[in-house]
Amino acid sequence: MRQLFHYLFAVVLILLFWSLVSLYFELSRGVALIPYPWGVAAAGAEMWPEWSAAFLESARRFFISLILAFAGGVPLGLFVGSHENINRWFSPLIYLLYPIPPVALLFFLYIAFGVGEAVKVVTVTLTLLFQVTVAAHGAARNISPSHILAVRAAGANSLQLHRHVILPAVMPQVFTSARVSVGLGITMLYIAETKLGIVGGPWSGLGNFIEIYRMRTDLSLAGVVGLAFLGLMFYVILELLERWLCRWKYAGKS
Amino acid sequence: MISVRDLRIEYGRGRRRTLAVDGLSLEVGDGELVSVIGPSGCGKTSLLLAIDGLIKPSGGRILVLGEEVKGVRKDVAFITQDAGLLPWKTVRQNAELALRLHGFPREGVREILRALGLAGFENRYPSELSEGMRRRVGIARALALRPKVFLMDEPMANLDTLTRERIQEIILELWHMYRFTGVLVTHDIEEAVFLGQRIVILSPRPAKVVEVLDNPGMGEPGYRRSPEFYEVVIRAREILGSPEGR
Repeated sequence: MRQLFHYLFAVVLILLFWSLVSLYFELSRGVALIPYPWGVAAAGAEMWPEWSAAFLESARRFFISLILAFAGGVPLGLFVGSHENINRWFSPLIYLLYPIPPVALLFFLYIAFGVGEAVKVVTVTLTLLFQVTVAAHGAARNISPSHILAVRAAGANSLQLHRHVILPAVMPQVFTSARVSVGLGITMLYIAETKLGIVGGPWSGLGNFIEIYRMRTDLSLAGVVGLAFLGLMFYVILELLERWLCRWKYAGKS
Repeated sequence: MISVRDLRIEYGRGRRRTLAVDGLSLEVGDGELVSVIGPSGCGKTSLLLAIDGLIKPSGGRILVLGEEVKGVRKDVAFITQDAGLLPWKTVRQNAELALRLHGFPREGVREILRALGLAGFENRYPSELSEGMRRRVGIARALALRPKVFLMDEPMANLDTLTRERIQEIILELWHMYRFTGVLVTHDIEEAVFLGQRIVILSPRPAKVVEVLDNPGMGEPGYRRSPEFYEVVIRAREILGSPEGR
């Protein structure tokens, strides 16, 4: 409840600042170069079917990418991180590929995956995948030896060790890293949707929406607001998921 | 029950090779509680890990219940230094862990937790407990297996005096109740004397047995206030050399 209040406060603050900037331009240039928040809201409402379709489309892409990144990155990071021999060979590989932004390879991704749906999901998945893999890999290399000893002494085999010790131990770091990467992922999604954005209609993603209506500033800003909500939504989803899956971390702290 | 003959444990290879245990022999009878004491880093923990089948000795033989040790046995429980509780599991889940890993039915855990004064804390996480309670959960996890052999690696390390003595008394009570065969590794002389029918004194690394003290008076909580107790403590201290023997 308290947190909700803080978010509302932040929204009010941003709207106020935005209005002031719009006012400044209107007074200094004589025209409202930057539309006021209410103007943007009205434009969004006018184009509601396109806007909401674009939002859902982007959200769907991001959601699929997030699931794929978790499903691929967590096992990969754990596997490489918890086997010393494999780590020696594969961790340089991960850290070499990790800094490459997938959009830098967008042209090649188009060649590989076409200009349709797949390439957008692949771009975002690759971005999130490396973040999650690196977090899981780092955490797997720092697991308390006393936990491993206690569970092995209680008779655990390798699979049980992963299930009861390694996986739960890395989850908090994986979630933190995924939350931090939401912004980066949204950026990548925006770029992937904007390039060749005119191919799809305004309803086929917020990037397309912004690209197509770039001459109508109130509408394109409505698309930008959509991106902000998209980021916030996934941030909150990941936060809630972490509070549920890693509730032991919050035990006794209310 | 437990028979260790000419045990030799090495770590590392080539130039970095260290000998942790060399030529150590030890017999622990059925239902006997033996404490093992020696300078820190002398290889006490290695000895326990080898008896539990967690590390492979490079020489010698270990028999538990007449069988050569090949891996972790279901009738041998191991209590580690800091109890090794998993912070993401509740008290009950931690106590059930050994049963679960071996695929045994998870029965009797509630009673064990109650007997150890943990009733009402079953759904708490380790971070919500005091250090003394955490150690008791570690004991509960070992006890849940109803083991024939208890291996204890400094289960009272880093506890304040009163808590330490309380846990020592719990271990004594449990030994009277279940008559398990126990090996307790410690670097605390008084603890070794309080909980060992025999006290095995090890040399600095590589560990081997220097002397075995008989301690017929042990077995009652009041023992630690008796003159015999102090006699054995002083004797052990003399053998260990330095005043604190650490």
